[in-house]
Amino acid sequence: MRNPFVMDCGEFHVNYKQDLAIWKITRVRMRVFILLAVFAVFPMFASDYIIGLATLCGIAAIGAIGLNILTGFTGQISIGVGAFLGVGGYTSAILTAKLGLSFWIAMPTAGIVTAIVGGLFGLPSLRLKGLYLAIATLAAQVIILFVISRWDALTGGTAGMVLSRPELGSFVFYSERSYYYLMFVVLVITAIFTLNLFRSRVGRAFIAVRDRDVAAEVMGIDLFKYKVLAFIVSSFFVGIAGALLGHYTMVVSPELYSITVSIEYLAIILVGGLGSVFGSIYGAVFITLLPVVLRSGVELMSGVFPDLSAVLIGMKEVVFGLVIILFLIYEPQGLAKIWKNIKDYFKLWPFSY
Amino acid sequence: MGILEIKDATLKFGGVTALDHVSYGVQEGEIFSLIGPNGAGKTSMLNCISGLYKPSSGSIYFKGEDITRYKPHKRASRGIARAFQNIELFPQLSVLDNLMLGRHVRMKTGLLAGGIYWGKTQREEIEHRKKVEQVIDFLEIEDIRNTPVGTLSYGLQKRVETGRALALEPEILLLDEPMAGMNSEEKEDMARYIIDIHEEMNTTIILIEHDMGVVMDLSDHIAVLDFGKLIGYGTPEEIQNNSKVIEAYLGEENAV
Repeated sequence: MRNPFVMDCGEFHVNYKQDLAIWKITRVRMRVFILLAVFAVFPMFASDYIIGLATLCGIAAIGAIGLNILTGFTGQISIGVGAFLGVGGYTSAILTAKLGLSFWIAMPTAGIVTAIVGGLFGLPSLRLKGLYLAIATLAAQVIILFVISRWDALTGGTAGMVLSRPELGSFVFYSERSYYYLMFVVLVITAIFTLNLFRSRVGRAFIAVRDRDVAAEVMGIDLFKYKVLAFIVSSFFVGIAGALLGHYTMVVSPELYSITVSIEYLAIILVGGLGSVFGSIYGAVFITLLPVVLRSGVELMSGVFPDLSAVLIGMKEVVFGLVIILFLIYEPQGLAKIWKNIKDYFKLWPFSY
Repeated sequence: MGILEIKDATLKFGGVTALDHVSYGVQEGEIFSLIGPNGAGKTSMLNCISGLYKPSSGSIYFKGEDITRYKPHKRASRGIARAFQNIELFPQLSVLDNLMLGRHVRMKTGLLAGGIYWGKTQREEIEHRKKVEQVIDFLEIEDIRNTPVGTLSYGLQKRVETGRALALEPEILLLDEPMAGMNSEEKEDMARYIIDIHEEMNTTIILIEHDMGVVMDLSDHIAVLDFGKLIGYGTPEEIQNNSKVIEAYLGEENAV
């Protein structure tokens, strides 16, 4: 009998098109389609609470893919993601609530506006590297939040703004299920776009800038252009995520986009895997569900030890930090790498090599 | 007029003069070697040609065009490719991707077309993949094409780096000590590749190398630098008989 785990066996590529495909093996393609189908169908059977969590995971994944383009693939640490999410959310809020535009125009516009703002704050990236650039993006975080919370006439100040759910004709995306599908479509497009990007010219240039910028320059890559471009693409997706999140929670206010959010997104791509599209998704699911799982764990235990919950409920941050530290020590390349190790193990199973 | 003309190039770092009024020309289609003792300014010279340093004064002409103030990426698009002394590959990428990056300036796909990856983009990828496969074939690195470069041995990395520069289809190829740290067999291989590149692709090559046997055998012309000054220029025979060069390498006769 053919070993069901031996995947590479008997698969031959006879032209470059096959060799350049994202998923090269029929079996892997099948797996991807089945996974997609599962995620497309599961809201039919799940409760609203679960679907809501899945939607939040998905939106976080879109933002995380955006951040990963900048930090994971191009090697530029950004701690301004929170503020860029805010730019996306607020742009969409202002366009829909104040100007009465449709969500379908407001969401892409939010992406573009965030891309422009991101590009502007990416300008110092030619001169600044590593931690210095991180501090420059911290400035973006502070400046943008300051503007948002003080420009009362446009943003409603610290009180924030109220958004409505998107409409399509007479249909309103009011149910959890419908909004999940909206998020799902955007996430799939984002993921495929990014996967394609990194098997073509511009994506390779991003990676080259990350790995050896001097060599990249000598090979004909305009460092300044590609660094700013990375900021632009990254911020575009973060802006889209911001708009989606805004219309989902139906409220935007400055404290939703604090530096904690930025750190959380950095944690997502660290835990998920730097420079991996799927890693961003795993990380987003992991970090979004971590507090939920912790809370239900504490609730379970409180049945047995009633006094414990008071102590453990404050443990969320501790566990959060612990998880990041453990990942940095034991698997710096994150969940994506762990998943790859598992796959590699089964490639030759049951033989050791 | 040669393909590359250096006119009176001077490079200063604070008080140190790395290059001191150096002038020479490189003819199209020749192998040109830069030699000199350690710290003579050979790599600085290459950095000036590839644009990582800008000369403090003087100018550099490539095919009659003044490229002195051009940024490195612009020079690459003109057809100047380079392999470094300390390997500067992209360690996490496969050999194939490294070579494809070498073709960056020959490709056109933009951001949006790349993300959509349909029709023209795919055709371009395949077309350039074919070119890259030719380089892989040429350098005999077929078996490692999908291996991440960081895991390869030093000699192979050197070869891949030469390949990456070749993938650019350069008019002029700058090789900075391609044989440093190699055993005599690997050196022979590398020398043969350099001759092949020169003969089959008719590429102009500027070579920095310490192995005098290799330099004398391969070069059409040699320039000798010492403390940033050009102290000799000519064919290998002329250089071997040049008293200044002998002095720079062996010290003064009466001092010995």
